[in-house]
Amino acid sequence: MKKNRILLKDVNLHYASVAYKERSTKSLMAGAFKRKSAHGRIADIHALKNISAEINSGERVGLLGHNGAGKSTFLKTVAGLYPVSSGMLQVSGQVRSLFDLSLGFEPDATGRENILYRGLLLGLSPRFMREKEDEIVEFAGLGEFIDYPMKTYSAGMQVRLAFAISTMVGGDILLLDEVIGAGDANFMIKAKERINSLIERAEILVLASHDLGSLKSICNRGLVFHHGHLVFDGRCTDAIEEYKKINGLG
Amino acid sequence: MFSYFSRIWAARYFWVHLALADLRSRWRRSFFGVTWSIIQPLGLTLLLTLVFSRMFNTDIVTYAPYILSGIIVWEYISANTIGGALSFVQADAYIKQCNHPLAIYTLRNVLGSVIVLMLASVSLYGWVAVVLPQNIGWCWLATLTIYPILMMIAWPVSTLLAYISTRFRDVPHALGLVMQALWFVSPVYFEAKMFKNGGLHGLVDYNPIYHILQLIRAPLLQGEWPSMENYLYSIGTAIVLALIAILVGYKSERKVIFYL
Repeated sequence: MKKNRILLKDVNLHYASVAYKERSTKSLMAGAFKRKSAHGRIADIHALKNISAEINSGERVGLLGHNGAGKSTFLKTVAGLYPVSSGMLQVSGQVRSLFDLSLGFEPDATGRENILYRGLLLGLSPRFMREKEDEIVEFAGLGEFIDYPMKTYSAGMQVRLAFAISTMVGGDILLLDEVIGAGDANFMIKAKERINSLIERAEILVLASHDLGSLKSICNRGLVFHHGHLVFDGRCTDAIEEYKKINGLG
Repeated sequence: MFSYFSRIWAARYFWVHLALADLRSRWRRSFFGVTWSIIQPLGLTLLLTLVFSRMFNTDIVTYAPYILSGIIVWEYISANTIGGALSFVQADAYIKQCNHPLAIYTLRNVLGSVIVLMLASVSLYGWVAVVLPQNIGWCWLATLTIYPILMMIAWPVSTLLAYISTRFRDVPHALGLVMQALWFVSPVYFEAKMFKNGGLHGLVDYNPIYHILQLIRAPLLQGEWPSMENYLYSIGTAIVLALIAILVGYKSERKVIFYL
């Protein structure tokens, strides 16, 4: 079996400025005749700066940092969504990511149908999803609402269902972006149990969150990002101290 | 290259689902539902035939299926150009979360609209079988080839347009105009002989749209097999477009996410 691993070496990532500067042919042509003014020029955003890290099986990594520090960009780069500008990125293992939880839900279809749809989005076969359906319904614990259309669900219920599906189908590497914290206290306990059981199956978890308490209880390693730099890599409790120090939080 | 297509194959359940979901939402809560795909082109054909057959002094019996075949195929073409151009923009939520090959989002359109085309063509087969029964024969089998060939052309075209429109958001608006112009210079509603009589041979002979339409028109309306030339032009167009789309996709696929 191939070992699950995430390896980054001197990874840089730029958001191309053209993406938000020249949206139209008109401004592209106008730009050719206009003198460039130094003031108000939009440069490429250097979102990840020389990031090197290695994450191995069984590690639960928490990402800390201020808004815009590069946590989500890091996750999306690992998920293979963003192309790195330079450096090397190696990910071995099946990646599962939970970024946008209401994605892939059809509001007019029932919760039960949406379990199938979301499974298909994740690249699974209809047969596999039918086998897992009861297990997911059970975990989400939505009662009779599972046969109601999704548009009748509250935000918390949607998150519960999404969480139940995305964590049911085993991935080797699980990437979570600020999703914990939705759902009521009861569900939170179940969610934590579920994440813990995923880790016990020797899978990698990378979690970006501002909730220091849940980071402390879930993660054993912390990465602190600051303006695109990786400034700390070590034990989670130390990482939280470092994060507080850098951002001047007592 | 090969691995790209195998990734598309691996995601097949997903894009088939997307295509079917599009169709479901299109017909949801309407009384006639699926049959609207048949009623709509038929109604338009009736209107146009009444006007055009008077204007051009043509035989209403043969001209009506000519128009109907033009309408349904043109509907497919414009769904995949004007509609296809927006495929990446519409699928941005998926693209930002899942690392699927981008070509599946145009394939979704290609597949969904070919189902609509097949449904709509049922009325064409029926109509022709009633008014021109002498044309029924083995050559009708050739009409089945129009569906895969149209898909092979529509997929690269809409993928190309989707790349360009994601970068330049004016393109989808301009496309409406371009398609209108294309429509005027192609024998979609107007008969090919009108172009030829007007000395515009080139617009028929070198026009892929004419050759594609012949794949369904020759068997149904004239009772003969489509010519070799029709097939060469249609498949040639598909190959050229596919090569361009693969080249453009190879260069820009990974950058699309920044422009969404």
